[in-house]
Amino acid sequence: MKRAFSKKEWREAGAGYLLLSPTLFVLLLFIIGPIVFAIFLAFHKVQLLGTTTFQFVGIDNFQRMLEDTRAKIALWNTVKYVIIVVPCQTMLALVLAATLNAGLKGQKFFRIVYFLPTLTSSTVLTLIFMWMYNQNGLINHFLKAIGLPTYNWLGDPDIALNAIMVMNIWSTAPFFMVIYLAALQEVPDSLYEAAELDGANALQKFWYVTVPYLRPVTSFVVIMGLIGTFQLFDQSYIFSSGSGGPNNSTLTVVLLIYQYAFKTLGTMGYAAALAFALAIIILVATLLQRKFSKEESLY
Amino acid sequence: MKRKKWLTMVGITSVLMGSMLAGCGGGDEKTAGEDTSGGKDEKIEVTLAGWGGNPSEQKLLQQTLDEFEAKHPDIKVKLEVISEQYMDVIKTRLIGGEGPDVFYLDAFEAPALIETGVLEPLDKYVTDDFDINDFEKPLLDAFKGKDGKIYGFPKDYSTLALFYNKKMFQEAGVDVPKTWDELREAAKKLTKGTKVYGLGVAPELARLYYIAESKGGKVVTDNKASFADPKVVEALQPIVDMHLKDKSAAQPSEAGAGWGGEMFGQGKAAMVIEGNWAIPFLQDTFPNLEYGTAEIPTINGKKATMAYTVAYVMNKDSKKKKAAWELISYLTGKEGMKTWTSKGYALPTRKSVAAELGYDKDPLRGPLVAGASYATVWQNGTNLPIIMNNFNNQFVSAFLGERPLDEALKEAQETANKEIESK
Repeated sequence: MKRAFSKKEWREAGAGYLLLSPTLFVLLLFIIGPIVFAIFLAFHKVQLLGTTTFQFVGIDNFQRMLEDTRAKIALWNTVKYVIIVVPCQTMLALVLAATLNAGLKGQKFFRIVYFLPTLTSSTVLTLIFMWMYNQNGLINHFLKAIGLPTYNWLGDPDIALNAIMVMNIWSTAPFFMVIYLAALQEVPDSLYEAAELDGANALQKFWYVTVPYLRPVTSFVVIMGLIGTFQLFDQSYIFSSGSGGPNNSTLTVVLLIYQYAFKTLGTMGYAAALAFALAIIILVATLLQRKFSKEESLY
Repeated sequence: MKRKKWLTMVGITSVLMGSMLAGCGGGDEKTAGEDTSGGKDEKIEVTLAGWGGNPSEQKLLQQTLDEFEAKHPDIKVKLEVISEQYMDVIKTRLIGGEGPDVFYLDAFEAPALIETGVLEPLDKYVTDDFDINDFEKPLLDAFKGKDGKIYGFPKDYSTLALFYNKKMFQEAGVDVPKTWDELREAAKKLTKGTKVYGLGVAPELARLYYIAESKGGKVVTDNKASFADPKVVEALQPIVDMHLKDKSAAQPSEAGAGWGGEMFGQGKAAMVIEGNWAIPFLQDTFPNLEYGTAEIPTINGKKATMAYTVAYVMNKDSKKKKAAWELISYLTGKEGMKTWTSKGYALPTRKSVAAELGYDKDPLRGPLVAGASYATVWQNGTNLPIIMNNFNNQFVSAFLGERPLDEALKEAQETANKEIESK
C-alpha cells in the first residue's frame, strides 16, 4: 500500500532540508555542479578565449582519444606507475608498521621519523629530490662511492619515471603505515598465542595471522593507493616543468589533461573527455581490486 | 507555538546562509575599498602584468614605471608579476574577464592569441610622434595579425650568439670558430671527457630552428609540421653526431646544470649558444669568468641566428584603454625604452634607441646586435606551440641515441599533424 506523506511528515522533511540547505548549496555549487558541467564539456568543442562557444560534437572527443598517441603514452605511463607503486608502497607500509609494532626500543622516535615525509609538501619534496637526482647530486655521488653506475635521473627518458616512482613510494608509504599501525593494535593477542602453541615462528605468525587479519585494511590501502597514483600530477609536472618530457616519459594522464585544458587553446572539451575517461578507469580498477580481494568490507 | 519554531528555523538558516554569502562577498568589498583609497584624487589605475626578471631587472622596470607616473600624474600603474606558467595564468584570467589592461606577450604565442580576438588592435592609437618606422621591422611584424593590424609593440629582443670561454680556448690553442665545421673541430679539442664539453646544446626547437632550416628545409609549412624533411634532418644531424660520435656536445642536465648559461659559467662547457639574458646572469653569478661572444658560426657560408621578442599588448576588454595606450606608448616609446634597456638586460627594438645606447659597439653585446639583421624571429603561425612540443619530445630521444634522427622526427611530425588536424 502506497501512502502519501502526511502533512506532519512533509513539514519535518522540509525542516530537515531547510537546515541542510547551506551544506546542500555548497555541495551543489562546488561538487555536483562542476561534475555535471565537466560531463557537459566532454561532449562539446569548447572555445573559451575570445568569443566563448560550445559546439555539440557528440562522442568526437572520445573517438579522438583512440587516435591520440600522446594519450596512449600517458595512459601507459600511468598504468606502469600504478602497477609498480601500489604494491611496493603497500608492502613497504605493512613491513614498516609491523616492525614498529614489534616493541622495539625507541619505536616512538622511529614512528615520528618515518612519518615525516608524509608531512612535507609534495612540491617541496619533489624539488629536494630533483636536487638529489642532479647529475652531480647526492644520489649519484652515493652510487659512485659504492661502485654502482650513475644515471642522468632527470634527463634520461628511461629513468625519469622510475625516479618519480622511488620518490613517491618513499613519501606515501608512511601514511599507509600509520593506517596499518592502527589496525595492528586490533589484532587479538589470543591469535598469536594460539599460533605460538602450534609452533609458528615469527615469520609464520606475520604471514598467517597478521596479514590475513589486516585484509580489510589492505583493501582500503590499495584502493586509496590506486586512486592516488592514477592521479599523479604534481611530481611529474615539477620534474618536467609541465612538458611531460624527456620524450614523453613522465607524461601522465592528469598532466595531459592539464596541458589540453590550459596550455592548448580550444581543447577544453577534449580535456574534460579525458578526465571523464580517467574517472571511469579508476572506477573499473577499484571494482576489479574489490573483486579480486573478495572482501566484503565496508571500504 | 509551532509557527514560532518554524520562524526560528528559518531565522537560523538564513543567518547561516547570509553569513556564508557575506564571507564570500567580503573579499570583493575589501578590494573595492582599496581601489578607492588608492585613487585619492581620481587616479586611473592601469594593471600591467608580466613575468619576473632578476631583481635588478625588476628595479629597472619599476624605475621606468615611476618615470611614467611622474609624467602622467593621473595614471597609476599596478604591476603584477606572474612568476610561473605565465601564459596559462594570462589565458585563464582573460577567459574569466579578469585580464590585466596591459601585458607581456611573447612573439611565439602571439599568432594564436591574436586569432582569438582578445587583443586590442593598436593602429588607431598610433600618432606620428610615436614613430612606428623606428622599430626593427621583423620584430614589429611578429605582432601583426592576419588582418594586417598591429596588436603589440615589441619592448625588447635578444638574438643568439656564441659564448666562449677565453681561458679554455687559450689552453686548447683554438681560435673562435667562424664556420660550423670549425666549431665542430674546436669542440673536439676543447672536450675533456665528461668534465668539460666543447659545446653545450639545448635540444629544443626554439634554439635549433635556424639550424634546422639552414639547408633549405622548412620546419613549418602551411601551419603544419614539416620537419621530417630530409633537408631538415641533414641540417640537424651534426648536432646529434657531436653528442653521440664526437662526444663533444651535451645538454646542460648531463652536466648537472639547469641551463646553458649555468653550464657555461660552471666551466662544464667551453662554448654555449645563448642570448643577451646570459650576460647579466654570468656577471652576477660568475663574475670571474673570462669569456667572449661572437656571431654564430656560419652554416653553408650563411649567417643565421634566432631572435626572441616580447611585446606589450592591450586587453580588448580593458575599461581603461586610453590610459593603457599611454602606458604602452611610453614603455615602447623612445624615452621609456631608453630607460628600460639602458642597463643592457634587454636590447632595444627601436633603431634610434639602439644607436643612442651604442650596444653595437659593446664587446659582449655587439655580436648579438649584429645578428638582428639576419635573425629568424621565433614565431611561425598559430600551431608552433604544438609543433615545438612534439619536436622537443622526440628530438631528445634522437639526441640521446635511442633512435635514428630521421625516424624520431618522422614520428614527431605525424603526431604533431594529427594533433593539429583534430583541433
